[in-house]
Formats: sequence, structure tokens, C-alpha cells
Amino acid sequence: MAMLTRDEREKYDRQMMIKGFGEEGQAKLKKARVFIAGAGGLGSAVATYLTVAGVGMIRVVDHDKVELSNLNRQVLHWQRDIGKGKVTSAAEKLKRLNPRVKVEAIEEVITKANVSQLVAGFDLIVDAMDNLPTRYLLNKVAIERNMPLFHGAVHGFEGRAMTIIPSETACLRCVYRGAIVEGKFPVIGVTPGVIGCIQATEAIKYIVGIGQLLTNRLLVYDGLNMKFTEFKVKKDPNCQHCGDVKDKDSSER
Amino acid sequence: MSVKINIPPFFSHFISDQTVVEVNGSTVGQCLEQLVTQFPQLRKRLLEKDGTVNRLVAIYVNGESTYPEELATPVKDGDELHIEVIISGG
Repeated sequence: MAMLTRDEREKYDRQMMIKGFGEEGQAKLKKARVFIAGAGGLGSAVATYLTVAGVGMIRVVDHDKVELSNLNRQVLHWQRDIGKGKVTSAAEKLKRLNPRVKVEAIEEVITKANVSQLVAGFDLIVDAMDNLPTRYLLNKVAIERNMPLFHGAVHGFEGRAMTIIPSETACLRCVYRGAIVEGKFPVIGVTPGVIGCIQATEAIKYIVGIGQLLTNRLLVYDGLNMKFTEFKVKKDPNCQHCGDVKDKDSSER
Repeated sequence: MSVKINIPPFFSHFISDQTVVEVNGSTVGQCLEQLVTQFPQLRKRLLEKDGTVNRLVAIYVNGESTYPEELATPVKDGDELHIEVIISGG
């Protein structure tokens, strides 16, 4: 078990006070290696809160450059970062937020060819992507490698979140069957802030081993009417990714 | 049999910003048919050309997924139906 330094004991004192957390929980966080797919709106929130919580290592992957139109929501990127790679910009801020967290920035497109290698050696995958085909790739590799997947998605004032524990719970493909035509989508920064924090909460609970995970439940956030609704979902025996019969999935990249 | 259909924000502007519509039916399919007859703009958003549920939406009855039965799922008086749209932004 990773030992905590005196400085870490002081820094994380408030969260170690939480019942069931303690030094043991903090040591688990310190040891954890987290893969975050996407350094946009969701990725900014998830990475920020996992960094300040004291996870051991974060690998963040995104191929985009920072644009002015990102700055209403992607809070890790600032005016001065325009034109810079999002992962470089994100890593700079995360390292300053918590110098003890190892942050690895990979500026690449996640594809069918590289996804397995990218997630290898990590404990969990956070889905902070902006498109469904890559989400399906992450879902498939999570099942193949038996890694938990923390899903989040946003649109306007609406958000979704769900936690997937392969072989135990419904996967993303059990719940989502369609393929959306990708493009510019409306969103206000608070929405990925809310959903990203839910994903980070789930990842922390999973690592520490406390609480009830958001499994077999799709959480729907409606910010306009300020409602959280939960839907029960179940494993689909005919699921293309985790079912008994796995068909070729044409929606993948 | 009276069933409440909760309309997601995505679609409520097609129906004068209503968030709930009451219909009568004994299956999800009958309820949706009544909804799209009343609000024809919703038809292609909820149903495919072959009459199955549009793959970009999911239908829940009393908070539980109706997949794979979907339209054939029975409903009873007082049930609550939710339509949810797949979103993918990040």
C-alpha cells in the first residue's frame, strides 16, 4: 500500500475524515492510474477533481487544439492557450493544481487500432468524449480488458451519466444502440461541470471502495427544469459488445 | 387507460413547451401512436419508417427500460412513460 507523506496527510485531511475513506482510501487513490478520454468540457471537470483528490496518475488523450469557442466550458483551457494542444494545456494546469499527481498528455485520435494500447496498464477509463463512435470503442475495450468505464455525455442543459463494471452490469451498448450524426452541439459550461463531477465522484468511490456505484442506472440531468431522473437499465443478452452473441459493430471507428 | 408521457426538453418545443402529455393505451406502441397523431412533428423523431422505435431514443415505463420489447410493452392506468434522447456531447 502506498504510504502517505506528512504533507499529503494534511492536504487530504478533510476527505480522509469521510466515513470509510481514511488513510487507506487515500493510499488507494495515490496508487490509482486513471485514463481520461477527452480534454474538453467533461474532461476538464473530471481531471480537475481527480487531480485535487490526489489520484496517482492521469493519462489524458485528445487530438484537438484549444479554440476560442471552447472557453465557455472547457475550464482547463484559458485565453492564452488558444492554438495549443488541449492535452498540453490541460496537463500544465493539472500539474500546477497538484504537483504530486503524474499527468501524461497524449495528443492523438483514439482509434480502433490504438485504443487497447492507450488504456493498457490503467485501472479505469473515464469517457469524456464528444462523439458516440469513440464512446463505443471505449466501451468495447473496457469489456475486453475488464476495466470499469465511467460514462458521461452532455447537450445544452442536459446530461447523462452511468458507471459500467464489465461482466457485472449493463454496458453502454446495452443502453445506446443508435449512432448520432456528429457535429457542433449546443452546451453551457455548467452542464459538463455537473456531469464531469458525477463521473469523478464515481471514479473516486470505485477506487476507494465506498458507496453505491451508478451501475444499471442511467442518470439523466435536466438543468433547465433542475431535475435528476434515474432509469433502471439491464444487461442485454444480445448486446453487440457484452452479450452472448457479439456481432460486428458498424458504428465503430 | 390513462398514461402520462414525459416529453424531454429536446422535443418539448414541438408541442408548445408541454412537458407532459396524457394519452390512453394499453401498450407503449399505442401510447406513442396517440402522441404522434396528436403531434405529427414527433413521428420521425420517435419512430423509424418501419414503425419501430427510433434508435436515438429510449422508452422507459415507470423508470424501467422497455428494451427489447419496446412498443409491445404493456402499460396500465396511471403508468408513467419517459422518452429519453441519446446525447453525445462532451
